[in-house]
Amino acid sequence: MSLVTLAAGPGFEAPGPEDFKFPDIAGGVTKPMVLIVLSVVIVFGFYWLTGRRALVVPSRAQFAGESVYRFVRDGVARDAIGPEFARFVPYLTALFSFVLVNNIFGIIPVLQFPSMSRIGFPAALALMSWLTFNYVGIRRKGLGTYLKQVCIPPDVPTWILPILIPLEFFQTIITRPLTLGLRLFANMFAGHLLLLVFILGGDFMLLHGSAALPFLSPFAFVMGIGMTIFEALIEVLQAYIFVLLTALYIAGALAEEH
Amino acid sequence: MTGHNGPSDSDGPEDPTGGGAGPNGVSNAAYGALGYLLAGLLFWGGVGLALDRWLGTNFLVLIGLLLGGAAAMYLIYVRYGKG
Repeated sequence: MSLVTLAAGPGFEAPGPEDFKFPDIAGGVTKPMVLIVLSVVIVFGFYWLTGRRALVVPSRAQFAGESVYRFVRDGVARDAIGPEFARFVPYLTALFSFVLVNNIFGIIPVLQFPSMSRIGFPAALALMSWLTFNYVGIRRKGLGTYLKQVCIPPDVPTWILPILIPLEFFQTIITRPLTLGLRLFANMFAGHLLLLVFILGGDFMLLHGSAALPFLSPFAFVMGIGMTIFEALIEVLQAYIFVLLTALYIAGALAEEH
Repeated sequence: MTGHNGPSDSDGPEDPTGGGAGPNGVSNAAYGALGYLLAGLLFWGGVGLALDRWLGTNFLVLIGLLLGGAAAMYLIYVRYGKG
């Protein structure tokens, strides 16, 4: 990264947070908002098209749709939540598809922006997951028992509890949603910035570089392509981690004490 | 560390909140550990800082951070380390 900026010398403006701000298209609507709406259309369209004529022997399209669903159901919900997984599968599947499509937008030509690199979107999703697991826990056990279970770790000496109880509460109620949202945001933000550095850097070297710089620009582009592939991996992985952690939090809220 | 009188091992390794149910227990422990450390440092460090501001001292924030870090590690042991 520093190599590119050094080699480019003066005149190259390194990409930064400014590159995540978009001008209004019309009436306060910006590109990330359009992408979010588009992702909803894509997710809905995908499940509608693949599921509208469901047969016992699935067509290829139906199989594709069911594969995603089955992945979340078996790979995330059943593994993490256990016997009660079924009623959480719709939420988890929708969440996974939504985050995945929005992340993948980061490497789709023309779109080329991961919507989740704007903090508001992952924050809203983290809030939804936070409300879900707390609601499930309170509904199952009642507020008192739920809080007791959240705050009081089992089998610890009593004298240490005054130190641990606020910490446990803080962990579950504040750092959980915070890290859940920030992890997704930061991964998408950093990944997009990395791509910008290599590709814009290569672009600058090729078009505005002096001496040997234009001939070195292929290295930047090759790194850009490599990073794009790497980014694809991260984007899928982060969508998976987001639903997996949501499922684990729900599992924790449902689990019986001892 | 602080938990010298080890808790009696009464039940199985099932832990109520954030418990690693299923084969994903390991990854859950990894993310849970991060959350605890963060929570410990932020909360008790924050308490130390607030007390420093209030009392005009300057060492309580350090004590808070150390206490929070130690408590977080102990909790990680209690929640994930046993069984």
